[in-house]
Amino acid sequence: MPIDWEPIWLTLRLAGITTLLLLILGIPLAGWLALSRFRLKPVVEALVSLPIVLPPSVVGFYLLLAFSPTSGVGAWLLRTFDVQLVFSFQGLVVASILYSLPFMVHPVQAGLENLPISWREASYTLGQSPIRTFWRVLLPNCKPALLTGIVLSFAHTIGEFGLVLMIGGNLPGQTRVASIAIYDAVERLHFETAHAYAALLLGLSFVILLLVYAINKRVTI
Amino acid sequence: MIEFDLTIPRLFSEGTGALTVQLTLETGSLTALTGPSGSGKTSVLRLLAGLDKPTQGRIAVDGVTWFDPVHRVNLAPQQRSVGYVFQDSALFPNMTVRENVSYAAPTGQVRRVDDLIDATGIRPFADQKPARLSGGQRQRVALARALVRRPQLLLLDEPFAALDADSSQALRPVLLDLHRQWGTTTVLVSHYDADVRALADRVIYLQQGRIARDTVVAGLPARSGERIEHIHFDKVTQQWVIDTATSQFRSGNPDWQRFAVGDQVRLQ
Repeated sequence: MPIDWEPIWLTLRLAGITTLLLLILGIPLAGWLALSRFRLKPVVEALVSLPIVLPPSVVGFYLLLAFSPTSGVGAWLLRTFDVQLVFSFQGLVVASILYSLPFMVHPVQAGLENLPISWREASYTLGQSPIRTFWRVLLPNCKPALLTGIVLSFAHTIGEFGLVLMIGGNLPGQTRVASIAIYDAVERLHFETAHAYAALLLGLSFVILLLVYAINKRVTI
Repeated sequence: MIEFDLTIPRLFSEGTGALTVQLTLETGSLTALTGPSGSGKTSVLRLLAGLDKPTQGRIAVDGVTWFDPVHRVNLAPQQRSVGYVFQDSALFPNMTVRENVSYAAPTGQVRRVDDLIDATGIRPFADQKPARLSGGQRQRVALARALVRRPQLLLLDEPFAALDADSSQALRPVLLDLHRQWGTTTVLVSHYDADVRALADRVIYLQQGRIARDTVVAGLPARSGERIEHIHFDKVTQQWVIDTATSQFRSGNPDWQRFAVGDQVRLQ
């Protein structure tokens, strides 16, 4: 039985877009968490870390409620932007960003916190703003942490199942990613198809992790 | 003229207390802060740079107030005209030596960067990353970087501490030449007598967060009016040494042999 490549491409597209958006959102957030002395910082840290400890179905359930066209947020999105997030690819992207946020934020935050404080202070005494210091001095010296964040976010999004099922369901070409396709194939007793998808994900994940460890060893600032 | 009066609570080896330092530094002077570990030397530099905030006091540099809680003035480190050389040099590893020096250079000041690179003798490795440099070379780069904005106040925190004797000896004339050439008011933290003797024209000895001794190496300070309690010639340093109740003055000036115990230290 020939394999349907669409779930694989959809998975890679979802993981790629999620990772890209996480870079844009996660890096400033990680920087703020690493460098800020804001009193309520632990609250933000706890919120960011929630997806690690919560079952995906819990996150998925609340996002489903929030994105539903009958809820405040969902209705507003539909009315204002004509966007419906439940059972759509956009919804999967938003849910994946929230769910994979700690996998981008934690490594980058830890990388920034481990840098000598004197680098930051040297930049300040040289008249440079905190933002310029962050982009020119701190972030470029966190390459291994950044790479870890990128790969963990990408790999974690590839492996999502419960959240995707709750938010996206199983719509071919829209929300039917590889993990859903495996579940679907097993349900239909198409073990050969399930095996093909599973082996592909296994190989892909292994190669990604292998690349991370190999590159991280070589990365020099 | 740099005037400061700083107070901050601190933990000393003999218990908690307060770092309280009041000083006036002449423009263009090179003052050394010495004293045992934990006496508050580095804290003074950090307070001057704005990296830490005093609980009370005042800092004024050439008539401009940098810190005055009464008038709610507390300039950020970026707004203070300081150059700071850290003990670990704090060079940015992602940048080459030249990039480190030019990182904070004012726009269009390529020549100043080149001048500093030459003055500190770092041109042979200007295109290398700091990781490939020795401790002494790194401190030269840090010195050039700290001076690139022509700061009013140069703060040197144990620049020789991590260096071997040869590197330390090689760095001293570089520092002294730059000080003479650029005339930047400098505060040097060091607990090495050799560095202090070779560089400083005034030595402040801190103990438990207080000034225990204020020694002017050359010339007599304008503020003095005390009587000489003791005078002798130090054969090792080839200098006359005058002790008053609170201060010690040193100079190689042969005219000092005319002073005697009981003379009042005159204004200059």
